Amino acid sequence: MSKFVIETKDLCKTYEGVVPVQAVNKVNLQIEDDEFTAIIGPSGSGKTTLLNMIGGLDRPTSGQMLVNGQNLAELSDNQLIDFRLKHIGFVFQSYNLIPVLTAKENTEFIMLLQKLPKEQRDARVEQLLEEVGLADKKDSRPSQLSGGQQQRVAVARALASKPDFVLADEPTANLDSHSAFNLLDIMARLNKEEGITFVFSTHDQRVIERARRVVTLVDGEIVSDERK
Amino acid sequence: MLVKIAWRNIWRNTTRSVVVIIAIALGLWAGVFASAFVQGMMRQKIETVIKAEMSDFQFHRPGFTDEYLAKLYMQNGEEIRSKVGTEESVIASSGRLISMGMVGSAKQNGAIKIVGIDPDDEAAVTGLNEQVLDGEYFEGVMRNPILISQATAEKFRVKLKSKLILTLQDVDGEIIAGAFRVVGIYKTENVMFDRMNVYVRQDDLRKLIKIETGLHEIAVSLNDHDLADPMATKYQVIHPDLSVQSWLDLATGMRMMVDMIDVYIYYIVGIILVALLFSILNTMLMAVLERVREIGMLMAVGMTKGKVFFMIMLETLILTMIGGPLGLLISWAFVTYYGVNGIDLGGAYDEVGFSSVIYPFLDGRSYLDVTFMVVIMAIVAAIYPAIKALNLNPVEAIRKI
Repeated sequence: MSKFVIETKDLCKTYEGVVPVQAVNKVNLQIEDDEFTAIIGPSGSGKTTLLNMIGGLDRPTSGQMLVNGQNLAELSDNQLIDFRLKHIGFVFQSYNLIPVLTAKENTEFIMLLQKLPKEQRDARVEQLLEEVGLADKKDSRPSQLSGGQQQRVAVARALASKPDFVLADEPTANLDSHSAFNLLDIMARLNKEEGITFVFSTHDQRVIERARRVVTLVDGEIVSDERK
Repeated sequence: MLVKIAWRNIWRNTTRSVVVIIAIALGLWAGVFASAFVQGMMRQKIETVIKAEMSDFQFHRPGFTDEYLAKLYMQNGEEIRSKVGTEESVIASSGRLISMGMVGSAKQNGAIKIVGIDPDDEAAVTGLNEQVLDGEYFEGVMRNPILISQATAEKFRVKLKSKLILTLQDVDGEIIAGAFRVVGIYKTENVMFDRMNVYVRQDDLRKLIKIETGLHEIAVSLNDHDLADPMATKYQVIHPDLSVQSWLDLATGMRMMVDMIDVYIYYIVGIILVALLFSILNTMLMAVLERVREIGMLMAVGMTKGKVFFMIMLETLILTMIGGPLGLLISWAFVTYYGVNGIDLGGAYDEVGFSSVIYPFLDGRSYLDVTFMVVIMAIVAAIYPAIKALNLNPVEAIRKI
């Protein structure tokens, strides 16, 4: 029987306002271990809201959001922070590295929050930067790296905590073709060789083509779910 | 790592951080130096009051200092003085006869306090001999010599060897007069005191006011000013029929001024620190608001609110810990330099009894107090920006993951 890393049950999110907006509407989605999934859809379709709820950054209005069987709605803010630290890796569209830290320190940062011993941190940082092809840039600060390089550091950082899955929001949106393909190659390899689960929200056809599963959202609802 | 991030964050905007550090240093310098100036001024005032005017404590008949009636003298004054002189803490004492009277020169008349002294005893207590600018300190064989202040000489338009007529009441209340000749002109740091007091030899005054034995006032100098109150209390118990008062009670308002001075210093430093507080708060708030996205990301990836709070606090504290000691160092250099060389105010405060040259002074405790206040200020200044950072919603902060 397959193990669902991520499972949503009738997940809804409504933003209250003068005109309430139903951003996500009764979404039922199961993502298994080792998947390489792209969530696509037009702007305003609810991709980001869904990803935010999967990542425990936003709370659903109704329905259940389960990660490894844990209902995130039952966790307090601090428990959610701890949960994210242990179980989820994030890759942001704008890289969002800590500008005052080097590539090595940015990658190490999550492990410091996890209070891992120095030897373990050093070994993992070396391995991750090697895997994303930035071993020679470990002492460079983000401002000294190209966009593609920064995003690769972000991937290394996301993997540093050995998360159950990595959420990536438009990871290639700010990258040129070469950097985008390079990044996708790295993520696909990590998925295939190390079994890391990736979930993307994207518009990028290059990502969609590489994804093994494509979930399409329109007006907050899943309109198609294709596996390749 | 948090310390490393906080330290590097500070230097992301070097100009802004340097400006804040300079602001802290200058603010602290202003506060400390102003405090040192006031404390030095008060210290000198106290020294002047004790040394030249009041001594550490005095004996009188009750009510004598209200009207200076000649009949209110201490019959056994010399005996009391001898006994007090045996105390280990007593450096010197001076017995005085005092009379309020009129002084007249060829050109001017006015009220004056006539103090009859033993020149050697008075010199030991007040150092009056060292204040003589012109002429002699009761030396020579001149009959009825009188020592007047420079201010009195100018007011009555007299000079050395000029004749002055003193008119006063004797012990029976009869009006009597005596002719005196100016033997010397003195000047203390207190112009107000100088205008009021002239000195004559005790024996000369004794004959005029017809008091054969006894004293109106006994002034006692101690080796430690802090002993003035306990000694006064002790001798008040021994001589309940007399009024024994320390300089704090003798100099009107001095006790209040001494009590107020610490509060006054804290107010000065406090006001400056409040201004600094808002400067730091403004800077840190800007630093937080500029990094909303970054802080949101930190919280998104697993940094607890406590750590975010601590990081912002740390940045403020580091800024303060650089600016603070720098300010204290500059302050210490200024206080030390001017503490030796003085600040000449050109007589601005002469009229209210303060010295023309102020030697700033700040004790070690005050430096510690100011440092403590700066640290507290920095913590308070950091709290609001840190809370602002805490209240950021990661989703809103980074807009989307």
